[in-house]
This record gives sequence, structure tokens and C-alpha cells, in this order.
Amino acid sequence: MDQFLQHLLNATMLGGTYALLGIGLTLIFGIMRVVNFTHGELYTFGAYMVFFFTMTLSANFFLALVFAMVLGIALGAAIEFVLLRRLRGASIDTTMLVMIGAWIAMQNTEQLAWTGVAKSVNHPFPIDPLVIGPVSVSWIRIFVFCVAIMLIVGTHLLIHRTRLGKAMRSTFQDRETAALMGVNINAIHTATFALGSGLAAAAGALLGPVFVLVPGMGDMAALKSFAIVILGGMGNFMGAALGGFLLALVEELGAGYISSGYRDGMGFLIIIVVLIFRPTGLFARAERIG
Amino acid sequence: MNRWATGLWVGFLFSIPLWMTDQYYLHILIVAGIFIIAAMSLNLLLGYTGQLSLGHVAFFGIGGYTSALVSLGFDLELTDSYTFVFPAQPVWIAFLAGIVVAGFFGWLIGKISFKVRGAYFVIVTISFAEVVRLVALNWIDLTEGPMALNNIPPFTLGVPGLWELTFWRKIPNYYLVLVTCILSYVVIARLVGSRLGRAMIALRENEPLAASVGVDVTRSLVLAAVVSAAIAGAAGGLYTHYIRIIDPDVFLFIYTVTMVIMVVTGGKGTLAGPIVGGLIFGILPEALREVASPEMQWVIYGVLMILIVYFLPDGIVPAVSSWWKERFDAPPKTGEERA
Amino acid sequence: MRTWIKSASFAIAATALLGLAGTAGAGETIKIGVTQPLTGAVAASGNYVVQGAKIAESFVNESGGVLGHKIELIVEDNKSNPKEAVATAEKLIVRDKVTVMMGAWSSTYTLAVMPKLMEYGVPMVVETSSSGKITTSGNPWIFRISPTSAMEAQSFGTKVDQFDIKKADFLVVNNDWGRGAASEFKKMLEGKGISVGVVETMDAKAQDLSAQLAKIKASGGDTLFVTSGVEQITLILKQVKEQRVSHRIITTGGSSSPDQLIAQAGAAAEGSYHLLFFAPWFPEAAPNPDVAKKFVDEWNKRGHNFAGLTEGFRGHDGIMTIAAGIEAAGKVDSDAIRQALWGVKVDGVNGDIAFIKQGPAGKESGQNVPNVYIVTIRDGKVALP
Repeated sequence: MDQFLQHLLNATMLGGTYALLGIGLTLIFGIMRVVNFTHGELYTFGAYMVFFFTMTLSANFFLALVFAMVLGIALGAAIEFVLLRRLRGASIDTTMLVMIGAWIAMQNTEQLAWTGVAKSVNHPFPIDPLVIGPVSVSWIRIFVFCVAIMLIVGTHLLIHRTRLGKAMRSTFQDRETAALMGVNINAIHTATFALGSGLAAAAGALLGPVFVLVPGMGDMAALKSFAIVILGGMGNFMGAALGGFLLALVEELGAGYISSGYRDGMGFLIIIVVLIFRPTGLFARAERIG
Repeated sequence: MNRWATGLWVGFLFSIPLWMTDQYYLHILIVAGIFIIAAMSLNLLLGYTGQLSLGHVAFFGIGGYTSALVSLGFDLELTDSYTFVFPAQPVWIAFLAGIVVAGFFGWLIGKISFKVRGAYFVIVTISFAEVVRLVALNWIDLTEGPMALNNIPPFTLGVPGLWELTFWRKIPNYYLVLVTCILSYVVIARLVGSRLGRAMIALRENEPLAASVGVDVTRSLVLAAVVSAAIAGAAGGLYTHYIRIIDPDVFLFIYTVTMVIMVVTGGKGTLAGPIVGGLIFGILPEALREVASPEMQWVIYGVLMILIVYFLPDGIVPAVSSWWKERFDAPPKTGEERA
Repeated sequence: MRTWIKSASFAIAATALLGLAGTAGAGETIKIGVTQPLTGAVAASGNYVVQGAKIAESFVNESGGVLGHKIELIVEDNKSNPKEAVATAEKLIVRDKVTVMMGAWSSTYTLAVMPKLMEYGVPMVVETSSSGKITTSGNPWIFRISPTSAMEAQSFGTKVDQFDIKKADFLVVNNDWGRGAASEFKKMLEGKGISVGVVETMDAKAQDLSAQLAKIKASGGDTLFVTSGVEQITLILKQVKEQRVSHRIITTGGSSSPDQLIAQAGAAAEGSYHLLFFAPWFPEAAPNPDVAKKFVDEWNKRGHNFAGLTEGFRGHDGIMTIAAGIEAAGKVDSDAIRQALWGVKVDGVNGDIAFIKQGPAGKESGQNVPNVYIVTIRDGKVALP
């Protein structure tokens, strides 16, 4: 029972960051119809930026998190502006090829810039965990969880309560009409990609100090994000948020009670099963692109 | 390319081992040839049916693993009292088994994944390859998992005891790969030129229209997937018996990406495209070995892929052949290049 | 002088043209092929091994080389990939015409290279790989100086009493190395009457190990054996603290680099034990303190990362073994070197290197019986237990 409770707590903590990764990807897909293969690289970028600011420039840890996210947003905007703008209207496969090329180039640039030796980020939280009865959790993970939830809620509010969000949603539903109504489609695309990228960078910045940094760390994050997005239905914001928690739970319990060797495979099994039986995602809405 | 040019090309390829004394270059050509076969099979899906299958390495790996296991023999403890023992078979039988099993998986995956299109299709195929990798990694009783299957016998032809030819050295392996390459080319060319091939191309161009004129969409796609997977399986078998070790890393996404780059660069939907792309990306890493680190090379390949999509969206082969036509004002050809 | 250079370079060109390497002419170097992962997943370790090998190269050449010639390392990058490992072996043997090799770090890469050694008849000294298969599969061209997991387990078995283990659990990386270590240590512990709880695996890239640790905690053992690279050990030490797993941690496999653990895991590394094949903090405790001291001094003088010494010594010992093999063979010939390697006695950094026979009769591979050291982390410093 204690083990089960610990699994539940672990899954909740992990689920927060998975949800953050998932909504970033699903936003970009839902609005732009772009399968963002660079998602994991923005995650890596965020993590290394925190390392750079705290360990190399000795900046304040919390300030470094903010910097990393801002730079993630800037990098995302740059990718959209340089690579994707001219592909507007191109087939989904063409953009996918470009994004794969960008993914390869970015990952190997990171490898060149930071070398393969793992890096570790110091954080100001105490090493002794918070103990609640039979279970325990570290303070940094509580912090990460809270920030992730704040970002998710903030993004939700941004989409549903602001003018920018309204423009995004209208672009998502019907881009021709939105354009006719005076929405600057180009600006919306850049903003959306930058926002999604910023969320990925934030996830990396938050998890970097929890784990260690290696240049290939984004691959796992990207594949998990894909699983989460499929689980929730592509373009489905709440679906991705719930999907993040669900994937974390399945992984945690799968590793705890079935086999730890397949832990990181749970996501892929979910993808295949969901796509066979319920291709619109578990939390389906009518919206789906064919 | 006309008949003469093709004949000349093939003759040239056959003559290489006669004058190429540096065995190391032959090694590079053999490995490049194996990847060209894989790229040609991917091109059938990617170029002709227009389905961006990013799990293609799964068929390559399944072919390789099957061929390795059948040639080595294996036993599986099914229940406590019953163990299924599979005796080692001659390599050419194993090789054929690899093709058949890979083809079967092509059928299975086709059935499942062609229910969805676009981004969903891409992601389901990637997931499939990852699941296969995890099975190869964790089903240790069968695959030895991360310990890898090693001491895989080299390719043999003939009947044990009567007459046997073992492909130990570079030259026979080179010819083996070359012949398989040509056979795959012929199979694909025939298929593309057939009724089914026209149906596939119609699907790529306009799926609703093709369906409305009576093309059985799923059946055509599944058939293409079976042929494509079987050829990829053949490439995997060649790889296994040449390198003589196989481990779950053979299923890594980066190998699929390598094949995609070869196809896209050479020209998707052209018969010669994957060959040109395969030669470029099979030989380039060796040419760059001394001057650029592997990371730098990958950065270059990534950027190159983006540039090709922007500036040469059809790939090198169609660009060169249209330039050739303009320059020499040859009468327009039919069918061959841009089927 | 000028004509001498001219004729020398002509001689080199001529031998290269005729493919006559192996009968080194005057002034020519003896080439030794090295294949290591210099890029990719395990690049850090491979680079340390090469740094150690280069030190051995200068040591040999400063003391007059072998057979009157200088030795020259030709280092190729196997890119942490078995297919590339084969390509490097092809290049080294076919193009560079090396007569003896060292490599290829991971067991998978070594196993991939092995058929090539048989094909071309070139001996290889294996410096890191731990898989039992390497020396038992009947490849007479293999000479391994690193211990197998079984040897490491046995060696630890002689010291196991001082740890007073009642029940042990395992958390290992899901590859040949991790799984091999888990099965050998399990066998050894059970042989000593110690019960074994759970054996958990983790993907080599996995970063969140909380699920595995929750299970290990519930198993109720007192000692956790961990086999993985230093990155994952760092993560495990941190997460063990978070989940309040009370096990004592013992890492196996010799790649744990305690200095890096202290730097990156901080207080979480306190009290952990590490099985190593070289303890560079205490060169005086090595069986050949002079050799160890000289190597550590040179390593520091060259400004290499101190944390890399626990990997770097492998390169040194490997090249020293090869140099001794060539000297004993009396000529630069693959088969002669292979035969001579059976008789070499080398004072290595790890200890005395000599080969015993392993594998099927008539096709035995050479296996050295190396030393295993145990260190612990106390007060933020590496200490002997």
C-alpha cells in the first residue's frame, strides 16, 4: 500500500511536467497543423540555458528559469519565422521533413556546444525530502509541479480570456474567416509557435535541475509529448493536460507492477492502442485533421 | 536513361571489384548498397503512395533479426515442461524467412496504420518501430536483448554437405548486395508500372478521387506496404549476415531518418532517386570522416535536408533529368523517371 | 640529411604501395589501431581511454620504443555504434595495415569487431568490455585485460563479509553490462547465503527512476547494487534521497567516477560505495605503486580531467600490454604478436597483467585477472572503506 501511494505521488509530480510538454506540442499542432519534431530540442535548450545562467554566469536560480523560458520563446519565434513561414500551405509531410531536418541539426549543435559529458544544475532547495506519512517527495519536485500547474493554468487563461487567445482560437477553427475578420494570421502563427516552444523550454528548465543534462535528453521528452498529444487528441488542450497525468500514471504503475524494462515503452503502446481503437484521442472532440 | 545507359551502368557496377583493390572502399560500397535497398523500399511508400512512413527501420530490423535467429537456431521455453526448439537452418533459408516475416509485419502494420493519415500515420509508424525495439530489447530469451546476437554466420548458398558457397570476403558480398539491389529495383519498377502502381500514384495525387473511380485504397496501400517491408527485410538480412552482429539499436529512429534523407535528396517517387541519394549519403560520411566530426556531419545533413525541401523539392534526379532535357532538347520520355 | 629524408619517405611510400607494413623499415613507426567511442552516447569514456593510451604511447617511445621503432597509435571513432565499430576495424586493418588493435569499449562494439579479427587474423586487446561472451565464444585473437562481471563479483565476494548484507536489491541499466553484472552478483550473493530481492532495469537514457526506486524501497533490502554510467548513478543517488530509500548503495562496473558524483550529486553521494579497477586517489595502494604514480602524474601534467582517470588507465594498460606483446614477438606480425601475448607479464596501473585461457579448447581467448578496489565517499571526499 505504501508503495502504491508512493507511485501515485510520483506519478502526480511527473504528470505536471508531462502535461506541460503535451500542451506545448498540441497547441502548435492544433493551430498550425505542424508536427513539431523540434519540441524535444527546445526542452533540451531550456535545460542547458538554466545550466548556462546558474552554473556558468552564477545567476540566481529563479531568474535563470525565467531567462531560459524567454529565450525558448525567442528561439521558437525564430524557427517559425525562418523555417515555417515560407511553408504555409505546404503539405503536412513537407513541413514534417523540414522539422526533422531542424531536429537533427539542433540536436547535434547541442552536442557540439555542450559535449556529451552530463551536466548538473544546482538548485537552492533542501536535499532532504518532505515526508508525508509513508511517502516522501523532494522540495524541488514540489516547486516544479507548482510552476508547471501555474504555467498550464496561465496558458489556458491566455487562450480563453485574452484577445490573442481569441485570435488563436478563431485561426484554429477557420483560418480564412479569421483572416477576413482582420486577424494577422502570420503574427498568430509566430505567437503560437513561440508559446508552444516556450512551454517546452520551461519544462526543460524545470526538469534540468531535477535530473542531469545530456544533449540527447530531448528525444525521450519529444516521444512522450507525442504520446500525450495522441492520447488527448491532437489540438485538444485539456486532453493533453489530462493525457500528461495519465501517461505518468501508466508508466509509474507499469514499472512498479509489471516490468521496468517496458517503462518507457508504455507511451508507444498507448499511441498504437489509441490510434487503433479511438484515433481522435481519449478525450475526443469533433476536431481532427485527416 | 535508355537501355544502353542502364546496361553501361550495371556493367560498371559489376566491374568495380575487378579494379578496386582497396577492400575498404568495397566495404563502404557494400554498406551503402544495403542502405540503398532499404531506401528503395521506403521510396515505394514515401514516394509512390505518398505515405510518410517513419517506422521503416522496423522492417529492416525484423528481417535482420529473423534471418539471424533462423540461421543460428533458438529455443523458447513456452511452458515449464515444453520448450520449443528451432534448429539452425542454412543462411539462404534464413534470409528468405526474414523477407517473409518482414512482409507479414508490413501487412499487419499496413492493416492497422492505414486507418489513419497524415500526422497520425507518421506517429503510429514511429511508435511501431519503437515498440519493436523495446520488444527486441526486453525479450531476452529470444533476442538476447541488449547482449546482441553475435557470431551470426555469413551468407551461404547451396545445400550443406553437397555444395556450399560461403560469403566470407568482400567481393562475393559485394556481388550479393549488387544482385539483390538490382532484383529489388526490378520488382519495384514492375510494380510501379503495373495497374497497382498506377492506383498507388493516383492515391498520392488525390485520394478521394482515386477512391471514387474504384481504387481499393486500403488494399493498394497494404500491398505496397507488404512489398516495401519485404524488401526492407531483405536489406536487413544482408546487413545481419555481413556485419554479423545485431542488437536492438538497429531499430533506432536515426536509421529511418537516414533512409528518408536518401530518398528525399535523390528524389522521391523516382526509381533512380534512392540510388543516387543512397550513394551520396553512403559515401559522404567517409569523405567527411577526416574533416568533420560526426555531429558536424549530422548538422550538415539536417541543414541539407531543409535546403532540399525548399529549393529542390522533387530531389536531385528529377532536377537533373529536367535540366538534361532542356539542355539537349531530347523528346519527352514517358513513365521512366517520374512515374 | 635531405637525401636521407627523401629516401626514407620513398621507403615509406614504397612499403605502403606494396602493402608491406608489418615489416617495419628503419625509422618507421609500428602502428597500433585503436577503436573507441569518441562521439555519441558514451563518448566521454572513450575519450578518456584514448588519453590514457596516448600517455602510454609517449612512455613507450621515451624509453626507446619497441624493437627499435617508435609506436604510433591510429585512433578511429566508432561513434558509439556497432556498425561503425566494424567500419573502424575494416579501416584500421585494411587501409592502415595495423597488426594489432585495442578496443572497442562497450561489449556490443567489441563483439561486433570480433568476426573481423578472425577474418583478417589480427589480435585485439580489449580494455573495457565486461561481457562473458567475449572470451568464451572461441575467438583466439581476443586478449582481455578488463574483468568480466563474473570476476568482479567473485573479487567482491572475498570482501562481502565486511558489509554484512542481509538482503540485496539491484538496479541496473538495461544492456549487456547491467544485466550481466546483476546476474553474476546475484549468483555470488546467493552462494554466500544472502537473499536477493528485486532486480530492476532502466533504459540507458531514462532520467526519472522514481518508479523503480519505490519498488526497491518496498522490497525491504539493506543494500542496493547499481550498475550504470556515472550520469545515471548521479540520478539514482539523488532520487534515493528523495524517496528515502534506506539501502546502502554499492556501484559496480568501475565506471562510476566518484569525483563526478561528489560534484554533481553533492551530499546525496555521501556513504555510497564504489567498485573500481583503479583508485587514482591512492596510487600508493596499487600493486605497482610506481607505475600508478607515474601515470597519474603524467595525466595531471597534461591537464586531463582527474575524474577520467578511472577510465583512462585502461588505455594505458592496453597499450603497454600491446607494446610488451610486440617486443616479445620479436617482429611486427599479427600471428607472432598473438602468440607472444600469451607470455607477457606487464606491470600495469591496475596490477600485474597476464593472460589465462578461456573458452573452447583450441580456440581460447586470453583473459587477465585484474584487481578490484572498493572506495567510499566520506565527508565529500573519496576514502578507502
